[in-house]
Order: sequence, then structure tokens, then C-alpha cells
Amino acid sequence: MERRTLRQIRGAKDLVEETVDAAALAINEVQRKMTRVPYALLARIGPIAAPVQAIERTHLKIADSVYFSIRVGNRLVGKMAGFVLDQLEAQAQREGDS
Amino acid sequence: MVNHNKNSASQPAWVATAASILNGCFGDYLNERDNGLAIDMAFYRNNRPLELSGESLRVASPALTGKICVLVHGLCCHEGVWEFPGDPARSYGSALQQDLGYTPFALRYNTGLPIPYNGQVLDSMLERLLAAYPVAVDDLVLIGHSMGGLVLRAACHYGAGRDAVWVDRVSRVFYLGTPHEGAGLERMAHLVTKILHAVPHPVTALVGDIANQRSQGIKDLRHGTVLEGVDFTGSVPWLPSARHYLIAGTVTDDPEHLAAKLFGDGLVQPPKAGERVRLFPGVGHMQLAHDEAVYDQIKQWCASA
Repeated sequence: MERRTLRQIRGAKDLVEETVDAAALAINEVQRKMTRVPYALLARIGPIAAPVQAIERTHLKIADSVYFSIRVGNRLVGKMAGFVLDQLEAQAQREGDS
Repeated sequence: MVNHNKNSASQPAWVATAASILNGCFGDYLNERDNGLAIDMAFYRNNRPLELSGESLRVASPALTGKICVLVHGLCCHEGVWEFPGDPARSYGSALQQDLGYTPFALRYNTGLPIPYNGQVLDSMLERLLAAYPVAVDDLVLIGHSMGGLVLRAACHYGAGRDAVWVDRVSRVFYLGTPHEGAGLERMAHLVTKILHAVPHPVTALVGDIANQRSQGIKDLRHGTVLEGVDFTGSVPWLPSARHYLIAGTVTDDPEHLAAKLFGDGLVQPPKAGERVRLFPGVGHMQLAHDEAVYDQIKQWCASA
């Protein structure tokens, strides 16, 4: 495969990886902000404040771990795709040299 | 720099189109991250960058003449925008070569970068082109479509500022649908982004942040920025040694129609009437880059004394 094409494929791979990462971070942050609103309202009711806060913490931990998993999975796929591209580039280099 | 691999084959056209759209939308980000999709400015022929050496230029254009025309495309486009529908071999460049003996050079560049920056790079590209060109150049015609016209104005400004040789050769500059006074669509996008950020809600703020990721090249179109720190092209003088021609279109056949008044050619409002201004009713923004009537007008002006 041509080196220019490989460079573009790597660029597309990087762009998708960075977009997914940034989107997961941003949506996670938005979800955290939106989640806090109903819990903050419920936490004002004295008798249920403590359990509400405990549920909120659990809710946020689960949501955070989901987004964290998406980001880790995205990184792993990116690493694997990068490894394949490294091999293809090395092959293109050898073909260019010979 | 452009990697010239003479043994490699040309890529499919859709790759160039997709890369150009991405560059237009996020080109400054791609450039900053040294992403492989970022386009390096170069003159292109047959979907490949031209090496600026006498030998390469002779191979690319066996019949070089002392008259050159340079075509600069607009936002999210590449040099393919000049191709006539149904006849990809024909463009304003090839037609001027056939009819008036101009040797055409079509530029491809990252339209997401700031317009002043692209102007500076084009200034040096034109210097390198004329230095490598094997024939003495006595006439240089510049044709810019949309944002390309602003990039040409920036290049002329920076070239004139340092007394570049190529600037003295420029006889005519054609601006096709160029937003010299800014583009309404980008002004609207700027306003919408401001409103989205003003609404106190995380989702609208997120949408506003996403909209704000558009490239600096797009943002420069709001006021038609040609120079760094100067928002209005009105304050940038036109190259005095050249003749400047403004060509515009309208979305309707009747230029007095309300839609034509409101939307111009669909993206850019037509300029005020003048001696070197020509309006083509019914010709949309993109069509300005490949229209027979527009070409006839360019040819007529090029042929005039």
C-alpha cells in the first residue's frame, strides 16, 4: 500500500480515536451535571438525604465506569490498529527500498 | 512538506474529497496534531502534488508558456471543484490554456487553517513556482473561488510587502463568489454558538462547544479576514498593479428576487455593481467554479488589453 495512503489511514484512525475519547469525556461530564439536579433536589428533604446521596454516588460511579470502559476500549482498539499500520508501513518501507 | 513518491499511484477522488471536507471543518486541529489527513499546500495535477522543480514542471506540462494562471479553490474543496460537470478534463485553467496560452496550476491546501496563514504560504509557493519555472513569466493571472479569493488577497498583500518578484507579474485577479465583506452563514453560526453558550444548560453548552470546534478558516469567513488581527478586508488595499474582477451569482434567475437579495449565490452576497463586477443570475455558489458563461467572461477580460 502507498505510504501516503497509510499516513491518511493512520490520520483517520487517530481522529476517530480522539473524537471518541473527547465525546466520552464530554458526555460523561454533561451526564454528571444533569444527574446532580434531581439528586440535589431530593437531598434537600432531610429524612431521605443520606440514602439519596448514597444512591447518587453509586449512580455516578456506575456511569463513570461505563464511560471509562468506553475510553479504555477505544484506546485498545486504537493501539491494535496502530500496530497493524506499523507493520504495513514497515512492509511499504521495505518495498520502497528494494 | 509534501512527500513526493513518483512510483505511487493516484488515489481515488473520494479520498481527496473526504480529506478536503475534513480539512475545511477541522483543518487547524489536524495540522496542530500533525494528523496524516492534514493537507500540505501544493500545486496538484491528476490528484498528485507537483514537485516544484524545472524537470517536474516540464514533465507535468510539456508546453510551458510565459503566461501562468493559478487557481485557488474555496472552503472544504480541492482542485476538482474547477472540473466541468460531464467533462472533468475541462476547467477554467485548461480552457485558458487552450484559448489564450496560459499554463494552469491548481492549488490544493488546508482550508481550515487561518486565511492569513494560507496567504503567507501561498506567497512563498508562488515565489518557488516562479523560481523553478523553466520559462520567463511575463503574465500571472490569479483565479480564486470563494475563500480562495481571500487567500489570494492575503498572498498579494504579503508578497507586495516584501517586494516578491511574482507580485509584479500579476496582471489580473478574478474573485468568484468571494465573501470580501464576510459570509452570512458563518455570522449565523457564530450567533447560534453564542446563544447556545448563553443558555444555562449542559446539553446546549455541549452542542455549542461542538459547533465551536469548526476551523479557524471557517471563522475567518465571518468578516472576510485577510490579515492577522484585521477583521475587515475593506482595510486591506487591493494589489494596485493588478486589475481585480469580481464575479458573483444569485440563487434565482431574477437578481431582484427577494431570495437573491437575501441569500446571494446561496452562501455569499453579491458585491455592489461596478465596471469590473459581473453578476450571473441563476448561477449558484459552487457552480461559479465551473460554468461556461463565467468562463466566457474570464476569457473576455483576460483577452482585453
